[in-house]
Amino acid sequence: MVHDGDGGRYLATWHFVVSKDPDTQAINWGMYRMMVFDEKTMVGPVLPFSDMGKMFYGKYVPRNEPMPFAAVLSADPISSLAACAPSPIPEDQLAGMLRGEPVELVKCETCDLYVPAHSEIIIEGEVIPNVMIEEAPFGEYTGYRTSPREKRTVYRVKTITYRNDPIMMVSNMGVPTDEGQLLRSFSLGLEMHKLLESQGIPITGVYMLPESTHHLVVVGVKPAYTGIASQIANLIFGSKLSPWFHMVVVVDEKTDIYSKDEVIHALSTKCHPVRGIHKYDNQVGTPLNPYASPAERRMSQGAKVLFDCLFPLDWPASDLPLKVAFSTNYPQHIQEKVLSNWENYGYGQ
Amino acid sequence: MAREYDTFVLEDPASVPEDQELELVVRELTPDDRRYKYRSFYAKALISKSESKYSDILKVRLGRGQLLDTPWSIELIKEVSKF
Repeated sequence: MVHDGDGGRYLATWHFVVSKDPDTQAINWGMYRMMVFDEKTMVGPVLPFSDMGKMFYGKYVPRNEPMPFAAVLSADPISSLAACAPSPIPEDQLAGMLRGEPVELVKCETCDLYVPAHSEIIIEGEVIPNVMIEEAPFGEYTGYRTSPREKRTVYRVKTITYRNDPIMMVSNMGVPTDEGQLLRSFSLGLEMHKLLESQGIPITGVYMLPESTHHLVVVGVKPAYTGIASQIANLIFGSKLSPWFHMVVVVDEKTDIYSKDEVIHALSTKCHPVRGIHKYDNQVGTPLNPYASPAERRMSQGAKVLFDCLFPLDWPASDLPLKVAFSTNYPQHIQEKVLSNWENYGYGQ
Repeated sequence: MAREYDTFVLEDPASVPEDQELELVVRELTPDDRRYKYRSFYAKALISKSESKYSDILKVRLGRGQLLDTPWSIELIKEVSKF
């Protein structure tokens, strides 16, 4: 097992599930954890807001039709990366773009889905409507075993194909930092950056801290108008990315968003404890959030919070606090002298 | 030799009824073929919080996987298929 105390053998933690929309024929690759239940059955959460969740629960289940699936274990790293990136570009095409050449695909043995030809293991079968069995607990990317053992989506296995002596890749998730936290932080942050830029927000950057298990995002912005921090939070909390994070910190363009020291300094000095913190209740969440109540986890419900670290624009210039730092308050010649003699003082680079 | 199973108890363990037929999910811990270790199945069974009352051992885990110090015992009546 990946962790002692898990609900079963988690065969699929760094993989992807291939499925097809029955109406549009659109292909989805997504990373949905899967636990071995018995020799013919796997089970795992397929959250209703996910791409596969919308497809399965929105289309297959109402028609009482099983959904063909292929679980791809140990594909090439770029294909796995594309499968868990929240990009609007279809994952198979994104993988080809990132690789610089198409991913070679091969047809499954039991259905008309296609999978990467050089994968190590392929598990084919059907996702079954109207039957759910117990799954979990599992030590997740949050660093906690949070989601309850509950009845979840069932995969019935028809065929397994594999290379000789296959290699099985597993994500051993836990407290930060691991590959999933890193990958999701960068891919979620990139999508947020694109979203905010597309709306003309004068951002200077978006950084999602991997150490926050991609729950906290820092946005740098030129405070061009009043309410810009709320506008940023509303846009990204309203996007399909939002179930995977819940804290937004908005800082000005002079703050280095990649410096935890600078972000913590801004947060603890510029965010008003009452007027700077904006709370959003009854939001989309996931069962994996350790902060959520048992009822919220069961319903994939969460809450969000904005930390507005921008000084209000209506403060007179004479009342604006002035940052005191070596780089802003010392004469240029003193700065140069100190920096040029830094090593002579006995300090490292 | 007693076989070993485990199960996840999601409510207060004290509230689990003993010596009456229950349906629960159990996992095999000591199968003849080690590939079947942790195989899960739904079963009708009798259980006791006494380790020695029934022939097989039932280890008990709480909802987040915490293992109770003292095992219970179980008598499997039959496996139940959900498909």
